[in-house]
Amino acid sequence: MATAMQYGSGTRPYRGGSGYVARSSSSGLYDVLELILDKGLVIDVFVRVSLIGIEILTVDARIVIASVDTYLRFAEAVNRLDLMATETQGLPEMMDGLTESGASSKTKGAITGAREALFGDDEEVEGDKEAQGSRKRSSSTRRSRSSS
Amino acid sequence: MASDGVPQYVYGVVPADGRGRARAPGIGGEGVRVIRAGRVGALASPVPDADGELPAGREELRAHAQVLEAALAEFAAVLPMRFGIVMPSDAAVRDELLGPHSAQLEAQLDELAGKFEMGLKALYDEDAILREIVTENREARALRAAIAAAPADATYPQRIRLGELIAAGLDERRLVDERAIAERLERFAIAVDLRPPIHERMALNAAFLLDRERLGRFDEELELLAAESHPRIGFRLTGPLPPHSFVELSVER
Repeated sequence: MATAMQYGSGTRPYRGGSGYVARSSSSGLYDVLELILDKGLVIDVFVRVSLIGIEILTVDARIVIASVDTYLRFAEAVNRLDLMATETQGLPEMMDGLTESGASSKTKGAITGAREALFGDDEEVEGDKEAQGSRKRSSSTRRSRSSS
Repeated sequence: MASDGVPQYVYGVVPADGRGRARAPGIGGEGVRVIRAGRVGALASPVPDADGELPAGREELRAHAQVLEAALAEFAAVLPMRFGIVMPSDAAVRDELLGPHSAQLEAQLDELAGKFEMGLKALYDEDAILREIVTENREARALRAAIAAAPADATYPQRIRLGELIAAGLDERRLVDERAIAERLERFAIAVDLRPPIHERMALNAAFLLDRERLGRFDEELELLAAESHPRIGFRLTGPLPPHSFVELSVER
């Protein structure tokens, strides 16, 4: 559908400046979920809308921050770290090494990872594949008729 | 009217001054129109299912956001509705949504004219932040050494404990960094909305209300901040978006 294609092409690299900020002109799917399910005008009971299914989506959107899985994953990541690097490598060298890949791409990777967890794997995938299983949800919204 | 009696999906509220058109296709590919009542209008499209039932999948979520983003460029102001609002008919949109709330809606349209939302997410670089936490925590360093020296299945409790220390270290740093980032940028914004982080390494998840004039200076400051924070924290800026996080309607019956 045309909508989806326009949507996905919103991301563009920052032009000029130091380039440390990843930018996109329109919201990605994850942002959409976060914004339009949680934020925005909600009118009172006169409107007679029930949001069956939406709560499930919203719950899915909450990434569990602290769990045994998370702890084990952190521990594993720590063990992979080369701590010696910090001691021998000065900051300027680290900057040199990291400028190319940049903070922006790191950020994008992780957010994409979160998005992947929410929507399955047909979104662009890069960077952090942090054992977040892919889940897909589809549910429905119903309007309950106002009794009159 | 011809479309009376057909359920209407409502995307948001715009001024009904005749300027601006809804351009993006709506949910299910339906055309989006402005249903007007007095000085306010609702962006709406017909729901094909006669019962007003609507799937709530990714296409529908995207369409909702797309209609509002397109409207932001077309209309003087847009008040986004939350996803999933379906009303029984055009008449219901006029008589239940627009009519009774017109004063509040008009006031918010005036207030938000020319303004938009920018989403900002700040994320710790995994290697950088883990290294920082482990280096500064004696217990974590000791655990790491113990884990490295023994077979994996013998160190389960130590690995859990190390993970807990990392998580606690992240929480401490998030408290400090979230506040620092927000304070540094909020003076360039009209308003800020801080949300809970949605990723374990997220330092800040915020929305800033801006206008064209403020965006330039906000952006400059953000670039400075991002350069200073590199490589420890990365930033992702999204927008301009409709002001989802800054609309509200106080309901009085």
